[in-house]
Amino acid sequence: MARYPKAMARLIEELVRLPGVGPKTAQRLAFFLINQTSAEVQSLTESIVQAKERITYCSRCFHLTEDDPCAICSDSKRNKAFICVVEEPRDVIAMERTKSFDGVYHVLHGSISPLEGIGPNDLKVKELVARIGPEVGEVVLATDPNVEGEATAMYLARILKPIGVKVTRMAHGMPVGSDLEYVDEVTLSKALEGRREL
Amino acid sequence: MTWKTEGIVLRVRNLGEADRIVTLYTRDKGKLNAVARGARRIRNRLLSPTQVFTHGRYLIFPNKGLHSLSQAEIIHSGQVLRDDLHKFAYASYVTELLDASTAEEDPVEKVFPLLAGTLSLGEQGRFGLAVRAFEIRLMRDLGYEPELYHCLSCRHPLEGQVSFTEQGGALCPECAGQFPGSMPLTNGTWELMKRLLEWEFSRLTVLHPAAKNEAELRDVMRHYLDYRLEYPLKSLDFLETLRGLTPVD
Repeated sequence: MARYPKAMARLIEELVRLPGVGPKTAQRLAFFLINQTSAEVQSLTESIVQAKERITYCSRCFHLTEDDPCAICSDSKRNKAFICVVEEPRDVIAMERTKSFDGVYHVLHGSISPLEGIGPNDLKVKELVARIGPEVGEVVLATDPNVEGEATAMYLARILKPIGVKVTRMAHGMPVGSDLEYVDEVTLSKALEGRREL
Repeated sequence: MTWKTEGIVLRVRNLGEADRIVTLYTRDKGKLNAVARGARRIRNRLLSPTQVFTHGRYLIFPNKGLHSLSQAEIIHSGQVLRDDLHKFAYASYVTELLDASTAEEDPVEKVFPLLAGTLSLGEQGRFGLAVRAFEIRLMRDLGYEPELYHCLSCRHPLEGQVSFTEQGGALCPECAGQFPGSMPLTNGTWELMKRLLEWEFSRLTVLHPAAKNEAELRDVMRHYLDYRLEYPLKSLDFLETLRGLTPVD
C-alpha cells in the first residue's frame, strides 16, 4: 500500500492533534500547506512560534497579552472601579466589540462544572477576590448564560457580596431580531423577570 | 423508525462548533446518548430542552453509534435546580450517580420515577433527604439492596446494636469484627434507612431526621456507593466546597 513520505506523514500527525481536526481534514490541510510557497509557509510557522513565545497572561486580569499588564489594565482611561468577570479571553474580545464597556476585566479561564470535576479552585477566583479593594465599586458577572456559567456566577456572588462590593449579573433576554413565538419558555420567563420600564 | 420518549437530561457535552451530546435517562429506554445538532446556537429549538435537569419529551432517530435527537418539548424545565447553587450541586450529584451506575439502553422501570421524584423533592428544598432516599433506592432498584433486617454474615435477625458494612448491609455485634471498616449504626439511622427504602416516595416529606442521623447516613451511604462504583464521583468535590461555604446537609 502506498504511504505518504515521512515528512508528509509527520505533518499530518501534527495537524491531527489540533481540536476539531480529524485525519481527513489533516490530510487536506497538509496538501494545502505543501502547495504554498516557501515564504507563505515560513510566515505561518513564524507566526505560530511568535505567538507561543510572546503571548502570556496579564498578571492582573489574566487576559492574553504581549506586555504585562495588558493594554486594557494599563489604559488610564479605563474605569478600574468596574470589573467585568468573563470565562475566557475570547469573551473579552466579544465585550470589547460592543464599545459600551469602559471598565476592566477579569478572566476566570473556565467555569464551575461539577460533572467535569472543575471547581472554584481550578479557576482564577482567588485572584479575583484579591483584586477587590475599596476602590472597586462594582463587579459585573458576565459568565455564559448556560448551566456552568450560572453556577459560576452564583458562586462568585456568594464569595464577593460579603466583601461589600456591588455584584451584578448580565441581563437575560430575547435575542435581538427574534420572534417571540419561537423563544423557549425559560428564556421568555427570564426576559419577563428582567423587564424594564420604558 | 423513531423513538418518542420521555426523559430527563443527565449530562451535556459539547461536540464540534455548535452540537451537543446529550445523555438522557428515559422512561422506556433507560440511559441513552444522542447528538443534538446545532443545540448550542442561540436560536436553535433544542437549546433549552437540552439543558441539564430538563424533563421533556424527546424524539430520537436511533443509529448504530450515537442516536440523533431531532425534536424536544419541555415538560418541566428544572430551572429551579439551576438557579440555586446548593440545589444545582445536589442535582449534579444525583445525575452523575445515576450516569455512573447504569448501562446504556438497559431500562429499569422504577428508576425514571425515582429520578423525577428526587429532583422534584430537591426543588422543594429537601435535597438532604431526597439524595439519601435516591441513593438507597437506586441501589435496591439496580439489585444491590442493602440487607437491613438480618445479619449479612450469620443471617440472624438483627436487634439492638448493629453495624454496617460497605459489602452490603447490617451486621450483628458478633459478626462486625470479621468485617474490617464496618461502621457502628445508631438505631435512629438504621430506622431512617428502613423508612427511606420502604415508604412511598411521596410520603418521605413527613420525615425530618435529626442532623446527626442524616450525617451518619451520608457517611454510611458514601462508603457503600464507593464500594459499588468503579470510580469516584466528581460532583462530590463541589458539594464539599459548598459545605465549606455554609452549613448544608
